[in-house]
Amino acid sequence: MRHLLNAASRIASLTAIFGLALADSALAQDFGEEAFIAERTVMVVVIILFASAILVFTRWAKQGKSLFVRKIPGIDAIEEAVGRATEMGKPVLFIPGISDVDEIETIAGISILGRVAAIVATYEAPLMVPTRYPMVLAACQEAVEQAYIEVGKADAFNKDSVRYVAGEQFAFTATVNGMMMRDRPAANIYMGGFFAESLLLAETGNAAGSIQIAGTARPEQLPFFVAACDFTLMGEELYAASSYLAKEPLMLGGLKGQDFFKMLIIISIVFGTALTTFGAGEWFKEIFNVP
Amino acid sequence: MKTTIPLIVAFLSGIVLIFAFFFNPDRVFIGAAQEVVLQWMTIISGFALVLGVVSILRVNSAKVKRREAGWHYKLATVISVLVMAIPAILPVSSKTFGGKIFYTVFPENSASLFGTGTGSIYDWLFNYVDSPMMETMFAMLAFYIASAAYRAFRARNAEATLLLLTATIVMMWRVPIGEAFLRLFSTQLPDYINMFLMNGFNVAVQRGIIIGAALGAAAMSLRIILGIERTYMGKG
Amino acid sequence: MTIWDKISAIDRRWIYLAMAISIFIPTIVVIRFPVEITVESRQLYDAVESLPDSSVVMLTFDYYPSTLAETEPMSIAALRQLFRKNMKVVTISHIPLGGPSIAERVTRQIAEEFGKVYGIDYVNLGYKANYVAVMHGLASSIEAIFPSDWSGTPLKEIPMMQTIKCYRDIKFIFSVSDNATIDYWISIVNAQYGVPVGGGVTAVSAPKMYSFVEAGQLTGLLGGMKGAAEYEKLVGVEGTATRGMDAQSLAHFLIIALVIIGNIGFFATKHRQG
Repeated sequence: MRHLLNAASRIASLTAIFGLALADSALAQDFGEEAFIAERTVMVVVIILFASAILVFTRWAKQGKSLFVRKIPGIDAIEEAVGRATEMGKPVLFIPGISDVDEIETIAGISILGRVAAIVATYEAPLMVPTRYPMVLAACQEAVEQAYIEVGKADAFNKDSVRYVAGEQFAFTATVNGMMMRDRPAANIYMGGFFAESLLLAETGNAAGSIQIAGTARPEQLPFFVAACDFTLMGEELYAASSYLAKEPLMLGGLKGQDFFKMLIIISIVFGTALTTFGAGEWFKEIFNVP
Repeated sequence: MKTTIPLIVAFLSGIVLIFAFFFNPDRVFIGAAQEVVLQWMTIISGFALVLGVVSILRVNSAKVKRREAGWHYKLATVISVLVMAIPAILPVSSKTFGGKIFYTVFPENSASLFGTGTGSIYDWLFNYVDSPMMETMFAMLAFYIASAAYRAFRARNAEATLLLLTATIVMMWRVPIGEAFLRLFSTQLPDYINMFLMNGFNVAVQRGIIIGAALGAAAMSLRIILGIERTYMGKG
Repeated sequence: MTIWDKISAIDRRWIYLAMAISIFIPTIVVIRFPVEITVESRQLYDAVESLPDSSVVMLTFDYYPSTLAETEPMSIAALRQLFRKNMKVVTISHIPLGGPSIAERVTRQIAEEFGKVYGIDYVNLGYKANYVAVMHGLASSIEAIFPSDWSGTPLKEIPMMQTIKCYRDIKFIFSVSDNATIDYWISIVNAQYGVPVGGGVTAVSAPKMYSFVEAGQLTGLLGGMKGAAEYEKLVGVEGTATRGMDAQSLAHFLIIALVIIGNIGFFATKHRQG
């Protein structure tokens, strides 16, 4: 039953990731008689360009081309923090955000959790993973269990280290704050989507004397993490963290492809701004006007 | 096999939904397919809720049984879950199948206490217990923000100095007394803060982060759809 | 431990106590400085004022009870403006926990002030799961998504809803939100269906929203309790947000004072250590 539910939750989460937003936006709109929505052609071009950039760089990485990826101190600090927890005999607390699995930030958090769990298992430090949604619970349990198996510590895996806490935002926060003050984790790692609870969690963790590493793509919560944590991954760094921790060329190729595409966006912004400044930018703006 | 099948399902689901974005759902079968997939997701989420309830009850009742430190708080958690959940799922009418059986034992005039409607036990607990607790937790932000700002805003270097000056100016600007104080220097000062800090630097930074994060999310989705990134399902 | 060491490392419990006092004082002493109106609040107010009388406006209650102090005064002020102009108000919520019942309570209270009748002047559609799909669905048929209102009355039987079928019949969406739903009102309903959207958000979310105002995708913005107080002033009825300004002012000044004290301690300690 559990495996069935796990598989089902995986399918559902993946479904959500791969285009819930895209799919939804096609619902209930009136596109007349045409089968292909011509106004969205520019999106086809963008997706092909983006996918090509990722695949080309991944291929280069596979072929052994050296790809430079700048250091991200927040991610480098994770291993140090786990080491500290081991020395102190205290747990590592990992929160994969408070969003459900249909948010890509949560999936990024779970991916990082997989990497962190492998380090934790290697060092044999205790791990605590509170979750807010049942689907996140199932996915996290699977990721942590597999990480323990892969480093040959299957026996050390405790299923209850990953647990469901509460569905309500502040009930979740209160419970996790209680865990922080009672168990005094050596390291608190926050990776995923966070909202008003970000500072409540981080400030309590600070009071408990834990090393704190946070990562979120939500700009409105970043200042709170920056103020209360030792290291903060901002925006896209959250999505890069799993690849960075993997240290595999294949994964790093994806990051370079992303950078390349970002350069294209920067060029478009500069070009568009220049055109608009000189009063000739209407046609350019129209290209990006997708219904 | 355990990983391969979900990977195939993931790939197909992703491709179907991406394609659906480009085709008229009324004209092409893919529109119907995506609706089915979306309905699946809602149904599976409902079933997954059982996992959460089982987890919360198992972890907490085990601690109560073992009389671990703070076991009485765990007991309070278990009782709260049951008190909130059971009346909410009991039938609110004797017309349903479950209702017919239930109201042969219990008086029918107690129906208004069940379910989640106005006047139910759930509604009462939500309004008078849960809701004030939520407000209290949110209000605690004021205290935490004060201690975090006191600790973090130190002029350690040029960037930190800029950060604390900007924060101080914005904090003054966002309250009437501060605004009046700022107008002592120039009557236009609050408007300039809005124009340059909020609509200038702030907007530029927000857009930069949003664009970067959106790209990161798209790249991650692509890595997952192509099976490059599998850590989320326990494969490195 | 010198005095400088002490002031650069004040125990957080003293800070909490000072904050509690600064919030408590305004309940005894009323200071009341004038609230200045920002461009964004004025823009929202003017956008609603410029609508013809009796237009249909959708007012969203996309907030949890936890942020009531910031968001509820926005809804109340908005309702006063809308009812004063005899607008038809359709309320909706994307928050299952509390959203629809807050909408019900607040709307009834303000409607009574203006003698407005449920079903003729306003309707509460309530909540429906999956907000992205709901926002798209309302474009083709409100009734398909909400066959009945929050209390279970079929929309067919509600007089006001006989002429309100989809976004085409709605002139403005006033979204009050404490979460990401406002992003979707902008990116889906405004961008794809062209309905003007204006709104109020919590102070924490406001900086992010400026980029949408700047881009013309959001018609006006109320940021936190200050934004709500500005709207109360524009509408001409002081409420809880205006009264809350004293407490917020003192709290902000306390934080500024703490930052200054912390830095004095920091520099003095650094200077002594050479």
